[in-house]
Amino acid sequence: MILNLDGTKPIYVQISEWLENEILNGNVESEQKIYSQYQLAEIFNINPATAAKGLNILADEQILMKKRGLGMFVTSNAKEMILTKRKNQTLKRLVQEIVLEAGRLQVSKEELIDMIKTADIGEEEQ
Amino acid sequence: MTVIECRGLTKVYGGAKALNNLSCKIEENKITGLIGRNGAGKTTLLKIIAGYLKETSGELNVFSENPFNNLLVSANVIFIHDQMNLPTSLNLKEILDTAASFYEKWDHDLANRLLEYFSLNPLQHHNGLSKGMKSTFNAILGLAARVPLTLFDEPTSGMDAAVRKDFYRALLKDYLAHPRTIIISSHHLNEIEDLLEDILLMKDGKELLHLPVADLKEWAIGLQGKTSVINEWTRNKEVIYTKSIGLDQSYVAVRNDFSEVEWQKARVAGLELTPVTSSDLCVYLTSKTKGGIDDVFN
Repeated sequence: MILNLDGTKPIYVQISEWLENEILNGNVESEQKIYSQYQLAEIFNINPATAAKGLNILADEQILMKKRGLGMFVTSNAKEMILTKRKNQTLKRLVQEIVLEAGRLQVSKEELIDMIKTADIGEEEQ
Repeated sequence: MTVIECRGLTKVYGGAKALNNLSCKIEENKITGLIGRNGAGKTTLLKIIAGYLKETSGELNVFSENPFNNLLVSANVIFIHDQMNLPTSLNLKEILDTAASFYEKWDHDLANRLLEYFSLNPLQHHNGLSKGMKSTFNAILGLAARVPLTLFDEPTSGMDAAVRKDFYRALLKDYLAHPRTIIISSHHLNEIEDLLEDILLMKDGKELLHLPVADLKEWAIGLQGKTSVINEWTRNKEVIYTKSIGLDQSYVAVRNDFSEVEWQKARVAGLELTPVTSSDLCVYLTSKTKGGIDDVFN
């Protein structure tokens, strides 16, 4: 992944999202050790303090846990927690944006729901 | 541990205050970006820290000692800038060989590998180098010296884009392997901000902001929408930048003290909320006038 450096999303948030993706797609399994702040700094060419901030977000959410002297490890139910979080936060926010844009374009709720349904079908057919 | 601590630091050049009652602290093993407009006092501050100049008044401690005429500070600090006085009688290789005897932790192997990587001819003389190659060579000195406090004053001036990128990467890699306190002054915050841990923003010889880069990105927020709505929303806010777009639209940057609820309300009211990039924020905060270049033409 290449970080989006245009400043619209803080780097440490992008780091934590990248780590979440690594956990979701199984590159790092639960109970396994995750990248250290220095490895992340090296991979993404960023200050290790920024990388640590990304790791700490996930530690606060108990997706990662700190083991003294050993580093950070993926917790056993990390995957479910990430999925629930993304549904409740990311998806909710995206839906709100869609509803707002629909309002600006004077698209009714029914019309919007229809669009979502057809978008779904389109994806399944592919 | 605090490496640099200054209180009420002032430097007067013929009546003009280059540094005006500056107080700041730099912590050990952090990379700090020193940002400010031309004439903000960045170079003066670095020169005083390195012991090249004596302050007019105020107090400064580097490794708990005043740096002027101080051997401990000289041995532990390297100051890289574009007017370095390197001996004209020595070629690049000889300069590196000599530098090796000055610095306890000098990495000669790294210096030679960097010299080769950047295609600098070891037999050439420093004053025969182009501007960009001079900067590259000076940067190599700064990295290989591996001193506890490394000061870079606009290290990339004259370097081409590829060399700049390589230099930043080399700096980061060597820092990861050998953490140390580094200060980089630059006019290109967007290029270096990912490397930095802290930013020290200077204006008129004073410290304007000193905070982690991550916080800087959330320090302000941009609002765009109908001017009337914007005015309503920014009445009690600290506005740092205003620009009108078209007939009845405006963009303003304000101090980001909005709560999550206010954010939602602003969105519903039809305002578009966007982050303010660090480099834009620094430009807004350090601008001399509220308007801008457009005002000159009006």
